[in-house]
Amino acid sequence: MITRVKIADIATQRVSGVLITVGLGSCIGTVFYDSKSITAGMAHVLLPDSTQFNSRKQNPMKYADTALPLMLDDMLKKGALKKNIVAKIAGGSKLFEFNTSDGKPEVSVGEKNIQAVKKTLKDMGISLVAEDVGGTFGRTMKLFVDTGKVEISSLEGYKKLF
Amino acid sequence: MDKNSLKPEQIDILKEIGNIGMGNATTSLSKMLEEKIKMDVPEVSLISLSEVPELVGGPEKPVAVVFSKALGEVSFFIIFLMPEHSALNIIKALTDGETNEFCYMGRSVIREVGNIVGAAYLSALSFLTNYTFKQTPPILAIDMAGAILGTIFAEADLADDTLLLIKTILNTELTDFEGYLFIVPNWEKFKSIVEILGLELEE
Repeated sequence: MITRVKIADIATQRVSGVLITVGLGSCIGTVFYDSKSITAGMAHVLLPDSTQFNSRKQNPMKYADTALPLMLDDMLKKGALKKNIVAKIAGGSKLFEFNTSDGKPEVSVGEKNIQAVKKTLKDMGISLVAEDVGGTFGRTMKLFVDTGKVEISSLEGYKKLF
Repeated sequence: MDKNSLKPEQIDILKEIGNIGMGNATTSLSKMLEEKIKMDVPEVSLISLSEVPELVGGPEKPVAVVFSKALGEVSFFIIFLMPEHSALNIIKALTDGETNEFCYMGRSVIREVGNIVGAAYLSALSFLTNYTFKQTPPILAIDMAGAILGTIFAEADLADDTLLLIKTILNTELTDFEGYLFIVPNWEKFKSIVEILGLELEE
């Protein structure tokens, strides 16, 4: 079964199939994998931090700090054990050069997202075993559920397997 | 923002702004291309963030996107999106066949096309509302639709999961060109524009 993960979305799956998220720009694709129970999860987060928008009702799958704990819960319910789960991330690129009003380059959302995802993983106690982040191009991320291997590709023919 | 917050007459007003703005833009473009440009009636929709890439052929589709911000009493984003082949065709047409790739020259052509479309839209809106807008210099990205749109939404710090989108499609026969204009306003503030226009229409 191929499951597509859209922007601000999470999917978890066991045993076989592929989880795929297409078109990661500044967004981050995070996968969790437990090789013992063969349980996989993928999240496509848009923004680093939900707390700056706490006045309104939000989709928790949009933010790094809220999406990853949700994905973990989902995997635990499917039988994964937290101590077996490792993480891999991709994305956080900078497709546009945005300037601040005084003409200096801003810290891109991509960069903020990378930092936020890493911090969230650390807070959750989940180890990051591989990453393919930054750069100036969009990525597609595929996770093969049976092996836990992640494949990254871009329009220009860039490929990476980890 | 919920789906019921737009009344039919407000949608009509937004469409009309889209019409006038794009009318201006197509006139300038058609002069440059020396051919007729067909323009669809603008569609106004409230749509979830994750569905936007589907509107233009899916998140993996290669596209060129020119993006700028309109700053003023009401601020919003102007996104002009072209499928990659359309962008290449228009580069070829506007450089008299001298280039058909995303080189320095090609990229400037695309940025300029996006600029013309955005500025035409803004001048129509200014004319109708008496608001003035400052347009930021247009920036260009060529990549997967999902990656670019996701990045724009993230840079926008969009707190809402639903966007108000005004979508207009342009196409030409000779040049084989198709472009989508998306206007993404901050709805809370955009309401005041709609109200101003609404009052004027009632007179």
